[in-house]
Amino acid sequence: MLKVAIVGCGKIADAHASQIVRVRGCEIVAVCDREPLMAKQLYERFPVKHWFEDLAELLDKARPDVVHITTPAETHYAIARHCLEQGSHVYVEKPVTLYAAEAEALIRLAEARGLKLTAGHDDQFSHVTRRMRALIQSGYLGGPPVHMESSFCYDLGDPAYARALLADKNHWVRRLPGKLLHNIISHGVARIAEYLTGDSPTVLAHGFVSPLLKSMGETDIIDELRVIISEEQRTTAYFTFSSQMRPTLHEFRIYGPRNGLVLDQDQETLIRVRGDRYKSFAEKFIPPMGLARQHLGNLKTNVGLFLRRDFHMKAGMKCLIESFYRSIEGGGPPPIPYREILATARIMDSIFDQLAPQRPSDDRERPLQQHPANAGVTGR
Amino acid sequence: MLKQTHDQWPTVKPQAFIVGPDDPMLVTGATGFMGPAVVASLLRHGFTNVRAFARPSSSIDRLAAVAEGQGASARVEVVRGNLLSAEDCRRAVQDAAVIFHLATGGDKSFPDAFMNSVVTTRNLLEASRHQASLRRFVNVSSFAVYVNSEGRCLDERCAVAATGGDAYTFAKAKQDELVGEYGRRFGIPYVIVRPGSVFGPGKEAITGRVGIDTFGVFLHLGGSNPIPLTYIDNCADAIVLAGVAPGVEGEVFNVVDDELPTSRQFLRLYKRNVRRFTSIYVPRPLSYVLCRLWEKYSDWSQGQLPPAFNRRRWNAEWKKTRYSNEKLKSRLGWTPKISMEEGLRRYFAACREKSRA
Repeated sequence: MLKVAIVGCGKIADAHASQIVRVRGCEIVAVCDREPLMAKQLYERFPVKHWFEDLAELLDKARPDVVHITTPAETHYAIARHCLEQGSHVYVEKPVTLYAAEAEALIRLAEARGLKLTAGHDDQFSHVTRRMRALIQSGYLGGPPVHMESSFCYDLGDPAYARALLADKNHWVRRLPGKLLHNIISHGVARIAEYLTGDSPTVLAHGFVSPLLKSMGETDIIDELRVIISEEQRTTAYFTFSSQMRPTLHEFRIYGPRNGLVLDQDQETLIRVRGDRYKSFAEKFIPPMGLARQHLGNLKTNVGLFLRRDFHMKAGMKCLIESFYRSIEGGGPPPIPYREILATARIMDSIFDQLAPQRPSDDRERPLQQHPANAGVTGR
Repeated sequence: MLKQTHDQWPTVKPQAFIVGPDDPMLVTGATGFMGPAVVASLLRHGFTNVRAFARPSSSIDRLAAVAEGQGASARVEVVRGNLLSAEDCRRAVQDAAVIFHLATGGDKSFPDAFMNSVVTTRNLLEASRHQASLRRFVNVSSFAVYVNSEGRCLDERCAVAATGGDAYTFAKAKQDELVGEYGRRFGIPYVIVRPGSVFGPGKEAITGRVGIDTFGVFLHLGGSNPIPLTYIDNCADAIVLAGVAPGVEGEVFNVVDDELPTSRQFLRLYKRNVRRFTSIYVPRPLSYVLCRLWEKYSDWSQGQLPPAFNRRRWNAEWKKTRYSNEKLKSRLGWTPKISMEEGLRRYFAACREKSRA
């Protein structure tokens, strides 16, 4: 029985606990939060053996095999390092760390200790994403990807959230190097990173404060981002983040030399886009029928998953957790390759460097030495 | 509008209260739906030193209007801060004689609701217990904490539970527990007030006790049930009296008005006075069966659909229940100053205005 602990008992910890209890062969032995009331409420609502307000005590007494780190991003590095040093595998929520150098250090540490690490890119394991991955692996694209487009939107339309963020100059999101973007974009960036071959592509970023936020007096929080990513002048990608465009897309398009695929994460649909064309008017009649058939097929798949009780909102997280635990127990590779985690972190570093060029160049290295061992265990 | 209320409502002389008119009164959640009404009620009752605690991002327009309406003698000091900060709590409670704790987390997730209701309350209680000036801590709770699975009359003696309900219910029940615990352990004099369904201008949605429009059509679930309405100004008066009336430490007071309309009457009046729409009546036995099925499916599917409809909710919102305000009247001398007819008239007028906007 794999012994699991959760550090940080905020909103995302609930999602983790809900999915862990659905995974066979494991138990939540402990939860921890610097705020004891928060640790206790999670302990009371889920089958959890113990609660702690001190990470060192949890690691010492509960001896977990795996620790899920669901604290605010700025604490991920220190907590993950501490857990790895004490011999636990770590599942770190996204963004895995604030800086790529930290992610690199954690991966090195995990490898040196014979432990495993994964990042909370759970959208990568949703049903539809797995279907897409299988198609690509079967050669549907006809070769390596030529171009990708990842759109990841965020509705700032909730005036309460926007006002709270805008009015509070000490809001924790403002303390992240990439501010609002830092907390959100990794899911969308990871989609691109998966299909790159290296971990340091060329990145060109352009970001700005939307007219809506400007009208509310905001000058600091960038909520519109366009990025061009290019690797060895072979594979390119566009990444779009927007708080203003509608619909609020969570979409990924990937095109190979022969065919393309369009994935809609919200609707969990996957559409095959054929590279071949029909002649004359046939091109205007036959493909729409094919698209209609594909949409019906997606509907059938989704209904089938729902009827089989396998269509939970966090189904991707369950799959990622299961895959991670299997890799720990069976000794196989971790579900998310370290190259992909590093590529995601480096692309994000590069984006935030370009958006805030005044940041000192050695800033990314500094946090490696600065984090206290048990910093901020409050959940988010 | 508040000024008009003041004109109709003569100032009450605070003769038999546990605090004097100049003692500092703290109101948390002062810019929410209830907050300005409680501040207005305090001023109407002759208290001139009111401290309103508000988040940095909250608009104080409604509060300012209240203070202006009460003339030059009223002093409403706005203190900005976050109840998640112990330091902000210490600043807020300094020298306070009575704390009216209205702030609450309406969040849908359990951790967020818990943090913004229970952790904030703990911070406030921790700060309060070192205040020699504190005469009473009024914790504003909710009818949601009652299980209401037995009997047909809901009063203050009915059972309360944190489990089986939604995030708000869990958080409010835990908040009440915490207040009781601080009362026992540290001698903090407290009173718990549990309003029914507070209505009035500023909150135009139809209460879920009447029905829901979750599925694209309005399902009328209340039928012939009385709706435990309390008009915002009447409820504010009850909260203020719970803070200043002598001899009620450790008591719980439910707040509902007189002349409660049934759900069917309310819906008919709403349609007549605000807007017409289609509604489908779901008889109580059927709504119970549907809630039970939903609950079972949620369990069976390991939460594929969250247990948004369950027996706890059915008992709380749609079971036929009578409501008592006897204790409120006999122990606090409260009476609803605004009649149900007048309250509904003002509410419908505000709804009409909102739908036009």
